[in-house]
Amino acid sequence: MTWNFSEINQDVDKDIESVVDQKTLEDFRIKYLGRKGLVQKIFASLGTLSKEEKPIVGKDSNILKNRLSSLLEQKQKEIANKKSNAGKTKLDVSLPGVSFASGHTHLISQTIEEICDIFEKLGFIVEEGPEIETEHYNFSALNIPANHPSRDGFDTFYLNAPDPKEKGVNLLLRSHTSPGQIRIMEEHKPPLAVIIPGKVYRPDAVDASHSFMFHQIEGLLIDKDIKFSHLKGLLSAFCKRLFGDKIEMRFRPHFFPFTEPSAEVDISWAQGKKTWLEIMGCGLVHPAVFKAAGYPKGKYTGLAFGLGVERIAMLKYGIKDIRTFYENDDRFLKQF
Amino acid sequence: MKVSLNWLNEYVKINLSAQELSHRLTMAGLEVESIDTVKGDKVFELEITPNRADCLSIIGLAREVSAMLNKSLKVPTIKKTPQVKNKISITIEDKKACLQYVGFLVENITVGKTPTGMSNHLSSLGLRSINNIVDITNFCLMELGQPLHAFDYDKLSGGKIIVRRAKKGESIVTLDDVERKLDPSILVIADAKRPVAIAGVMGGKDSQVTSQTKNILLESAYFDPILIRHTSRKLALSSDSSYRFERGVDQQNVLPTANRALALILENAKGKMVSFSDARVSKKKALQKNVSITLDQINSYLGAQISSAKIKSILTKLDFKLKETKKNSYQITPPSFRPDIKQEVDIIEEIARIIGYDQLPEALPLINATNMKENVRRQKRNLLKRTLVGQGLKEIITFAMVNQSMLDKSNYDGIKGIEVCNPITQDHAMMRPSLFSSMMSVVQTNINKGQRKLSFFETGKTYTKNKEEEVLCLLISEETNSDWRDQKRGYRNYFDLTGKINEIFDCLSLQGVTYEVKNYRNLEEGQSAQINWDGKSIGFVGKVAGEVLNNWGIKAGRFYCAEINVENILSRSLKEKSFVPLCEYPAVSRDVSIAVNKDVSFDKVKAVVVKNGTKLLSNFRFVEEYLGEKIENDKRGLMFSVTYQSSNKTLREEDVNVIHEKVLKALVVDLDVIIR
Repeated sequence: MTWNFSEINQDVDKDIESVVDQKTLEDFRIKYLGRKGLVQKIFASLGTLSKEEKPIVGKDSNILKNRLSSLLEQKQKEIANKKSNAGKTKLDVSLPGVSFASGHTHLISQTIEEICDIFEKLGFIVEEGPEIETEHYNFSALNIPANHPSRDGFDTFYLNAPDPKEKGVNLLLRSHTSPGQIRIMEEHKPPLAVIIPGKVYRPDAVDASHSFMFHQIEGLLIDKDIKFSHLKGLLSAFCKRLFGDKIEMRFRPHFFPFTEPSAEVDISWAQGKKTWLEIMGCGLVHPAVFKAAGYPKGKYTGLAFGLGVERIAMLKYGIKDIRTFYENDDRFLKQF
Repeated sequence: MKVSLNWLNEYVKINLSAQELSHRLTMAGLEVESIDTVKGDKVFELEITPNRADCLSIIGLAREVSAMLNKSLKVPTIKKTPQVKNKISITIEDKKACLQYVGFLVENITVGKTPTGMSNHLSSLGLRSINNIVDITNFCLMELGQPLHAFDYDKLSGGKIIVRRAKKGESIVTLDDVERKLDPSILVIADAKRPVAIAGVMGGKDSQVTSQTKNILLESAYFDPILIRHTSRKLALSSDSSYRFERGVDQQNVLPTANRALALILENAKGKMVSFSDARVSKKKALQKNVSITLDQINSYLGAQISSAKIKSILTKLDFKLKETKKNSYQITPPSFRPDIKQEVDIIEEIARIIGYDQLPEALPLINATNMKENVRRQKRNLLKRTLVGQGLKEIITFAMVNQSMLDKSNYDGIKGIEVCNPITQDHAMMRPSLFSSMMSVVQTNINKGQRKLSFFETGKTYTKNKEEEVLCLLISEETNSDWRDQKRGYRNYFDLTGKINEIFDCLSLQGVTYEVKNYRNLEEGQSAQINWDGKSIGFVGKVAGEVLNNWGIKAGRFYCAEINVENILSRSLKEKSFVPLCEYPAVSRDVSIAVNKDVSFDKVKAVVVKNGTKLLSNFRFVEEYLGEKIENDKRGLMFSVTYQSSNKTLREEDVNVIHEKVLKALVVDLDVIIR
């Protein structure tokens, strides 16, 4: 019996094409490499061949056997791969990711922190003071005279609670954070550099730009040789940090009983025709304030400043109505 | 305060545009709020600070401009009072409220038209021309800052003037045609019978100067600023006069202004002055205090290099008398209209202001406050806030003032907050004793807008009996954002909130917070607890009562809320953490499932396990509570996992078994549990 190996190879080529899964692969194996398969038949026929033919056919049949084995192995891998691919899920990778949503601090708190951070980096310490105050700390010690209009019930909330230290006088809600200046000066010896954020209260009817409760930040720096030039330098550095290098600013003379010289700080973003926005009050600490805090005359000088947090936040973030802060709409809280 | 550029120009030559002048005024502390054009004139609206009553006049402002621009100031010459024999009867009854009252009786005047120049000036400031007499008083008020008033003398009963407090029941119809009820807190100018003017605020209609008027009484006076302010506020009536009196006029200007007006009246309305009185409480002239200062003081305070010549020039232009006692040392006498100048810093401010703050140098101070310590309270509060934010809560800030009705709606039972004596509305009449009602109002706002998945916290003060204490309020809605992979995760309950509370204590390295069953009127019975820490109750936690939600009109959702007094927590110093070595030996875990009587709390079970688990018990993890049918009615199932681990060796199975058996036995003996 003679074997046409080139025809056999053609058959193999054709048959391997039709192998697509485990079953057809098995059929293929049985047909060629099975116990009764073609390769076995060829090997069995070797004995019937002539001496000359035997080595040739033997060699060819070994080649065929190796080829079949390698084809089988290759096909087996292909089918296995195909199978594992079919088992995998195809993700819609664009479906929303799942997270546990973080909360938010209030924009007022964030603004306070931002401002405090700037001053802390400059070497200030953040302090706090009480909201319920006495006339002494809120007014008298700050050089605000006994009959000053700001002491009226029109400008300050009084509480139905007597001042334990001053007979016939009621406690009040601080109308600014400045009483903190006196408290700090009493508690610490200079040099001192403090920032005092907190709630303040004034009997203003609520509208888009007024609220009877709002937040202020007070600053106080006292040492042996603080000058007016320092006030300008410090607050310029602060404003540029908070609002960016592009702003312009100006110090405009103003009046506060507890500072002298006093100024208001205006900033402007516009080039050319400027609109100035007032952002803070400041000045050098008035000698009467040092006196009230029990500091020796002429020993120290200092600078002080105060700013409204809501106003800054409104300017910075384009909020038009101060009531937005206290309404606490979830959509507002989420934005910042 | 309005000022016209043309009028100003009559006293000081201004070579600047309106825009430039406006900038200079603003930068000298006389803030220009707006510039209007009125018939070719420029009119500035100025905001004058309360310490600068002297700038409430055209001449006062011209003086400032002359100093700023270094120009000379030309003021009109004021004649002396003509000599007359007759006196008017003027009685000052309230000698504290009125320090001086000057009265001129001018007869046979002709009431008529006002000269055009004068009426133009007045109209540029928005003052309507009435007649020559009234206009002259207004003109002098604007020019010199001293308010004047002219009465029709023939309407004054008895021809006399009494400066007194109004009597109870008296009233007056003022020039603006409004009848005003008076009382003894109000100072009036009265004739023999009745009030004819509210002192310093507005004249009476009956005695006003009309076209028929023949004889007038011209008034120039000094009234107490505080009294005028109170009257003006009380009557809700303010005028150009009251505005100036309440800020304080210059008493030394009272008579000169009357003289200025008299000269103008005689010139424009003819007539003759026949009687005159100048009633004063004190004949002594108040002396201005001298201030001594050196050039060095000025420059060192400002951090600047200003020349002596510049300083002298500025102060002289502002009418300060300056004497150089020795080189660069000055003794300065401020003018009578500058009672605000009392000490060195006041002088320094004048110099800085006129030079312009923008012209002064800028420098960074050396800040060296190393002796001050960080504020622990703020550090801890920030840590706490960060933790809550990490737990998905949003911070709210609400008003610290509430009202009784908010507390009632919130079933509040505690002590009241401090009352506000002068609340702006009854809605905010009490300092809050609790944050819970504010939280409910925020829930209401959000629910009304359809936002139902809420997670909020607020840190704020409560105010009771003169005490302000810091309180933390937390709220979560039952409904929460669901995970689209597992819809069942979209709700929360009591344990979501206690979990967050535990996180707070963890982040502050504080231990020992416990929850004890307690009922509160604002919380659902059976789902509320008292929070204990450090041996004390510090607040409550639980499900907000349906009744409270009804009271607030909150129709959608269920909520869990906690309020915790954090005063003691925040005031304690922050505990430094120290490293616990990581254990390198294997751990052995045992799952335990027990059936226990329902009245035995989890806390008790855990305590028994921890107590008997020895030092080797390294972890206790709660797995599940079972309340199903497979267990007796009065019992519940609890499943937990305990882990044993040694820090210095690998535990043998037998060692663990011994301890674990002991734990299980203790549970059976102590708590009567059944091991399942």
